Amino acid sequence: MRTTRFAAASLCACALCAWGCRKETQASAALAQTGPHRGGRVVVAIQGDIATFNEYQSSASATEAEIIDLLFPTLVTEQPNYQESPPSFAPRLAASWELSPDGHTLTFRLRRDARWSDGIAVTATDVVFTLRAQKDEQVGSTFVELKSRIRDVEVVDPFTVRFHFTHAYPYQLMDANDGHIVPAHAWGAVPFSQWRTTDFSERLVTGGPFRAATHTRDQTLALTRDPGYWQQPRPYLDELVFRVIPEPAAQLAQLFAGNVDMVPYVPPREAARVQARPELALISVPARLWGFVAWNNRIAPFSDQRVRRALGLAINRQALVESVYCGFARLAEGPVLSTMWACNRALKLLPFDPQQARALLAKAGFVSNASGVLERGGQALAFDLLYPASNSLRHQAAVLIQADLARVGVRVTPLPLEFTTFLARQEAGAFQALLGAWEESTKVDLAPQWCTQAPGRGSNNFIGYSNPEVDRLIAVAEERDLSNVKPVLDRAQELIVADQPVTFLYEAMRLIAIRRNVRGADINAASPFFNVADWYWGT
Amino acid sequence: MLRFAGRRLAAAVVLVWLVATVTFVLVALAPGDAASRLTDPRISAQTRERWRREFGLDRPLPARYAAWLGAAATGDLGTSWLHHRAVTTVLGDALPNTALLAGLGLMVEIAGGVAIALVQLRRARGRLDSALSFAALASYALPTFAVALALIGVFSYRLGLLPPSHMHSLAGEQAHGPARMFDLLLHLVLPAATIGLTGLGAVARYLRGVLLDERGRLYVLAARARGCSEQRALLVHVLPNALLPLITMIGMSLPFLASGSLVVEVVFSWPGMGQLMFGAALARDVPLLMGATILMTVAVVAGNLVADLAYAVVDPRVRL
Repeated sequence: MRTTRFAAASLCACALCAWGCRKETQASAALAQTGPHRGGRVVVAIQGDIATFNEYQSSASATEAEIIDLLFPTLVTEQPNYQESPPSFAPRLAASWELSPDGHTLTFRLRRDARWSDGIAVTATDVVFTLRAQKDEQVGSTFVELKSRIRDVEVVDPFTVRFHFTHAYPYQLMDANDGHIVPAHAWGAVPFSQWRTTDFSERLVTGGPFRAATHTRDQTLALTRDPGYWQQPRPYLDELVFRVIPEPAAQLAQLFAGNVDMVPYVPPREAARVQARPELALISVPARLWGFVAWNNRIAPFSDQRVRRALGLAINRQALVESVYCGFARLAEGPVLSTMWACNRALKLLPFDPQQARALLAKAGFVSNASGVLERGGQALAFDLLYPASNSLRHQAAVLIQADLARVGVRVTPLPLEFTTFLARQEAGAFQALLGAWEESTKVDLAPQWCTQAPGRGSNNFIGYSNPEVDRLIAVAEERDLSNVKPVLDRAQELIVADQPVTFLYEAMRLIAIRRNVRGADINAASPFFNVADWYWGT
Repeated sequence: MLRFAGRRLAAAVVLVWLVATVTFVLVALAPGDAASRLTDPRISAQTRERWRREFGLDRPLPARYAAWLGAAATGDLGTSWLHHRAVTTVLGDALPNTALLAGLGLMVEIAGGVAIALVQLRRARGRLDSALSFAALASYALPTFAVALALIGVFSYRLGLLPPSHMHSLAGEQAHGPARMFDLLLHLVLPAATIGLTGLGAVARYLRGVLLDERGRLYVLAARARGCSEQRALLVHVLPNALLPLITMIGMSLPFLASGSLVVEVVFSWPGMGQLMFGAALARDVPLLMGATILMTVAVVAGNLVADLAYAVVDPRVRL
């Protein structure tokens, strides 16, 4: 009896071991082969699940946008070559395109071999349907304003579609391309008035290199290769699996244990751990995100340019980049990212110069009181520095800034806030100073942040910055062709940097960890999955 | 009895309404709203304002409240702004996952706590009793995330015996029948153990005190005088009487079956109510928050009701 029990227990233990030790990665599928070949699965860790497969319902989280891009086509693919010139585009669903001489119409010729996952051809009707959905007020997507300058779109023939614009302007191709084409035959059955409340996963028809195989909410989204994809034999991978793991530390633990093959967001402090593993590659790409200290330009003492500049001079930004971002960031120079073609490269970095900061503050009328704190008219130079409580990087940065400014006699109180509260106070301008970050799109548009706020006109200029000359230059830039807009943008940047409405802190890098034997991956600033159809498992 | 049940039901309805109303007002007064979260660089400030109009967030609070209450009274909890699905469907997906994990965790907690208390009682104030008291106190004092990470570190990464997260492995998600069930059980072990280990200390400490009190009573002496063994006296006479306060404890814990533990769910990537409500609160998803609040309040009322009924079963005097 005892022997039987022991045997049963051993059997259970063995089963447990076998199950528990089994790696979920199927890297072995293609081990013996070299060069691109079919097979295998890549498991990607993500922090949160996709809320919807229909981006016109969504508020577009970055991860969701990246996954949707694998399932639905765009007309063209924006290339990550925007460092020296405005980004170029490569064919995707559209094989070619042509702008009319007067710049009012843009005609796309679609590939004839593109198919939805149910075998139906992707045609001009789908493009027209998509634009109508994007512009429809009942759908209420975030694209309504974005597409406002596209008057209409017409079907020329089943594989030719023509966009009509209200007027010619520099970003017509980018605006026409923004948003993914969705299947008219499958989703057209749902009236636009019901789009907000419809679960589109139940009528999922896709048109990308992968199709959705299974989706267990908040757990796993498994994509399998679409055999009807037009770039055969691509994609090479059989499966691309997204595993929801909310904690960054747990994501890395699973990466190290071999259960996950890719972590698309590695915290900078963990970079060294990834680099120490020979089987992993750490890829850093510009994140198009820049951090800043926003000073509320509407209120004293931040309405004084000398004070803003002095505070910027007193912050050791290089130390912040090195200690908080472990070197995976670079100093920000101005309102356009240094990785963008439109950046004014003649701008000079604001130095770390506490002496000059003290002198400027003295010129602004601040004198040191008995406790070493600067004051003017009996009012101490002291303020709260708001930051999102959930962001540990900004917490560290806030503490460093507090220490730096204390050395010149400025008393800063870091104030962590729940993220939505932080955003609400930022939007309402209810702050003295805040530690924020801004993500730039590849479309250079200084207006939302730097133009003077006008009643009835939406604005992201929550700091209350106003310079009439900057307003004028931005208005000129909006109407100029991209080939001759650079000098105007350069001048606008000069003025903004001279005004120092914010202290430009850093330009962040995005760190991505991936198994070295995932081959063919061109992970770049456009997307970690930029050429996912070319990925394959190597030895 | 019917009148009693009717009174309880009416009180429950009022309580649910009251809690829902207070929650609605608090959420409305909290800074920010669903549109504040539109931080994509392509999204303009005009889009944010339009979303506010479309979600009715620009309407006065009483109008919003009246609209929500009117719909809720007819059973329409609306559509989640975050998940784009009916609130009832979203809750229906998360609730069973939480109930399963929290239910198992509570069972571990109670069974473990009772077992420890009984072992302690055999040699009360001895070395084993002291050691177990210390261990129980330590387990109660340890932060949940620390216990979770320690268990994962040892059983998943060091020994490779148990999965560190999720409800299923990738293979398990595609499996059916017993294989899928076995996979789920394996994934339940560590999160349920975390809940159990961090809670059993309180049960053990509490029960030990009650058992010690009960053991010294005259009816136990009488039983022993009639020749009843010590073990039988403990299990048959002392334990049922000591269970009464424990039932209150369990009744109070029942809402946990609906609310779950945020920390455990995050650490183990468990798709339950804790994570769902946390996400809804951050996103100011009013319909989902309100739906979840109603569910929680019903769970609290139900927990109390179950405790009352259990009292009546265990202690016949209550029926009077």
